[in-house]
Amino acid sequence: MIEIHGLSFRYADADRDALQNIELTVPDGDFLGIIGPSGAGKTTLVHSICGLVPHRRGGDFYGSVTVDGMDTVETELTDLARVVGTVLQDVDSQMVAASVDDELRFGLENFGVPKDEIEPRMAEALGAAGISDLRGRVIGSLSGGQKQRVAIAAILALRPKILVLDEPTGELDPAVSEQIFRILREMNERYGMTVVVVEQKIMLLSSYAKRLAVLNGGRLEIAGPVREVLKESGRLEEIGVNCPRVVTLSRHIRDLTGGKIAATVEEAEALVREVLR
Amino acid sequence: MIEFRNVSLQYNSGAAAVHDLNFTVPDGAFVAIIGANGAGKTTAAKLMRGLLKPTSGEVLIDGAATTSLRTSELAKRIGFLFQNPDRQLCKPTVREELAFGLELLGVPDAEVKPRVDAVLEDFRFDPERSPFALSRGERQRLALASLIAVEPKTLILDEPTTGLDYRECMAVLGRVKALHEAGTTVVMVCHDMELVLDFAERVLVFSAGQLLLDGETRKVFRDTETLPKASVLPPQITRLSERLADVLPPADTVEEMEAAIRGRKGEKA
Amino acid sequence: MTGFLDYVPGSSVLHRLDPLTKLVLSLGICVAAFVSDDLIFLLVLIALDILLGVLGGVFQKALRLLSGLLKLSVFLFLLQVLFVRSGTVLFELGILKITLDGLFVGARLVLRLTAATLPLQLLLSVTQLSDLSGVLVQRLFVPYKYAFTLTTAIRFIPVFAAEMSGIIEAQTARGVEFDTKNPVKKIGLILPLCVPLLISSVGKIHESAAAAELRGFTLRTRESQSKRYVFVPADYAFLIFTVLLIAAGILF
Repeated sequence: MIEIHGLSFRYADADRDALQNIELTVPDGDFLGIIGPSGAGKTTLVHSICGLVPHRRGGDFYGSVTVDGMDTVETELTDLARVVGTVLQDVDSQMVAASVDDELRFGLENFGVPKDEIEPRMAEALGAAGISDLRGRVIGSLSGGQKQRVAIAAILALRPKILVLDEPTGELDPAVSEQIFRILREMNERYGMTVVVVEQKIMLLSSYAKRLAVLNGGRLEIAGPVREVLKESGRLEEIGVNCPRVVTLSRHIRDLTGGKIAATVEEAEALVREVLR
Repeated sequence: MIEFRNVSLQYNSGAAAVHDLNFTVPDGAFVAIIGANGAGKTTAAKLMRGLLKPTSGEVLIDGAATTSLRTSELAKRIGFLFQNPDRQLCKPTVREELAFGLELLGVPDAEVKPRVDAVLEDFRFDPERSPFALSRGERQRLALASLIAVEPKTLILDEPTTGLDYRECMAVLGRVKALHEAGTTVVMVCHDMELVLDFAERVLVFSAGQLLLDGETRKVFRDTETLPKASVLPPQITRLSERLADVLPPADTVEEMEAAIRGRKGEKA
Repeated sequence: MTGFLDYVPGSSVLHRLDPLTKLVLSLGICVAAFVSDDLIFLLVLIALDILLGVLGGVFQKALRLLSGLLKLSVFLFLLQVLFVRSGTVLFELGILKITLDGLFVGARLVLRLTAATLPLQLLLSVTQLSDLSGVLVQRLFVPYKYAFTLTTAIRFIPVFAAEMSGIIEAQTARGVEFDTKNPVKKIGLILPLCVPLLISSVGKIHESAAAAELRGFTLRTRESQSKRYVFVPADYAFLIFTVLLIAAGILF
C-alpha cells in the first residue's frame, strides 16, 4: 500500500511547488494511471514513491509518503527499492549493462539473490515480458520496444510488490504500447502486483487501469475509478487532458443513455446497441 | 511537388530500409505517414528532405533530384521538424535561435530582424529567454517557429507530438494547420490515428519498408483487411462504426456518430 | 546496428579465454608497441593484431577501425615529417625540409599508434563489459564503483556518438553546411553543437545513476557477481606468450 499525506515538494532551484498538498492512497493490487499536462508533477510524484525525491532530488519536502509501512524519507533508497520496482522515463540511460542477460543479472546480484535462484528468476522475468527470445542479445542492437521490455523484465526479476513506471510507452507505436500494457495487466491480475503508471495516452489508461489520478500544476485534481473520472470529461478537457473519443460520444448522447460512460470501443458498441434497441 | 521514383535505401546493418517507393506529394497537400515502429516512416521522411540518399531510384523536389541540391537550397524549400526539438536548438536566446536559420540561408541582415519580430509576435515568445529554460512543448513550438521564419514551401514533421500533452499538441498542430491553409505542403509522420484523422487529407501506410496503402484518409481507415498487416488500429469512432455497420450508416467523427444514432433513434420512434 | 566498440557474440578461442587473460594480452601488446623502436617489430605486432582479429571472428571490424585510423595516420605522419628537422636531409625547398629522421619518427609514431589501438578494440569485441568489470573487481580488487564507471563510459560512447550525429543531422536540416570541404570551417560549425550535446548528456548520466541505485548499486560488493572466473591451460599459454612479446619488445 502507498499512502501519501499532505505531500508538497519544491525542487531546490525552483520558484514554485512541483507538488502541492497531495492526498492519495493506493491500495495493494491497484492499477493506477497518472495523467496530466506537462509540468503537472507526474514525474515528481513517481520519484516521491520510489524515494528519488527527496533522497536524490533535493528540495523542500513536506508531508509524508509511506510505502508498505516504510516512511520514504527515513528509509534508505535501496531498502525502498526492495519493495518498489521503478522503470524511469529514458529507457536508454537506465540500462546498466551491454547485454540483456547482464542487465537482468545486475539487480539480482546486487540484492544478494542466491546464485542458484538467479537463473530461474531471469527466465521467469523474460518470459513474463514476452522476450525469452532476446537472451544473449546485445542491448545496442534492440529496438525501442524491445529495450523497454528489457527494462521492465529487469525490474520484474526483482519481484517487487509495487511496480512504478514513468511514461513507458512515450516513444512506442500504438501496437507495441498495447503489448507493454498487457504485461502490466498480467502482473497486476495474476500476481497481485500494485502498478502505478504515468501515461499520456488516455486510451490505454481507459482500457487497462483500474483507477486514475489526474494532476494539474502540482495539484491532484481528480482521483477515482476510471469510469468515475471519465465522467468528468468536461473538467478533464479544461485541465488539458484529452478524453477518448468514445467517452466524448458517451457524453454527447448522455440524454439517451442515462449518463453511462463507455471507456472502450467494445463498451461503446454495447451502449449504442442498448440505445437503439 | 515531391516525387519518389523507385526509391530504395539499404543499410549495411539491415536496419529500417525502404524498398521501391513510388508516390507523389502534390503542392498544398496534407499527407500523413503511418505504420509501426521500424516500418521505414522516418527513413522516408528523411529521404524526402535529402537527409538520406537513396541507394537506388531518385527523390525529386519540383523536378530536381535531392542529391543535386545544396544543403542551403534544400533548407530553403523544406523545413524538417524533428521528434526531439533539443537537437535543433543551439543558441543562448530565443531571438538568436530564430535569427540563426535565416542567417544560415543568407537572408540579408536588414531583413532578418523584421522577420524574427513577426514570428516572435505571432508565437508570443519572450525573445530574451534561453531555449533550454522552456518546457518541452514550448521548445517544440520554438523549433517549429524557427522553421516557419524561413517560410519554406513544404514542412515535414517527424512525430511532432511525441512527449507533448494534449494542449501543447493542439498548439503545434493548430499552427501547422493554419500554414497548410495558407498553402504550405505538409507531410507528417504520426502515431496518433485520431490526430491523423483530424488533420491529414491523405495517408501513406508503411509496413516493413514498403508502401502498403496510399489514399484518402477516411477510405484508408476503412480498409480493415490491409491495415492489420501494418499493425495500424483505426481511430476509435471508425472502429465503432465498423462494428455497428449492421445498424448505423458510416461515421468517423463524434459528431457524425451522434447524428447517426439520433437519426436512427428518430426513425424508430 | 553494432558500433566499432560493441561486443560481438561468439564462441571463438578468444571469446572463451578468461577476461583477465584478454586484458593482459591486449595491454601487453600495447606495452610491447611502446617499448620497441623497431619498425619491423611494430609491423609484426600489427600483423598479430589482425591475426587475433581473424581468430576472434571480428576481422571486418578491425579493418573498419584500420581504415578509420588511416586518415589520422596520414595527418600525423605529415606533421612529424615536416617538424623533425634533424638528420640526413632528403629534400629541401625554402623552409620545407624533409629528413630521414623525420620519415623514421613519423612511421614509428603511426605504426605504434595502430599497433596499440587495435588490441583495445579487439578486447572489447570479444569480451563482455560485465566480464571486464567482473575480473577487475574479483581478481584485481578494483572497487566496483570504478569498474562500473569505466564500463559505463565505454557503453556511453556510442550513445553520445548517436546523439551527436542526430544533432548534426538536425542542424543540416536547418541549412548548416557540414558537407564543407574546409576542415577548419567544419570544426567551427561543430563546436557550438557541443552545448546541446552536453545538456542532454548530463541529463542522461543523472538518470543513469538514479536507475543503477534503484537496482541496488550501492549494495554491490566483490562477492555479488554470480559468475566466477577460472584459468584454463589456454589462458596460461596466452599469458606466457604475452610475457615473451613484451620481452621481445624490449630486445628490439
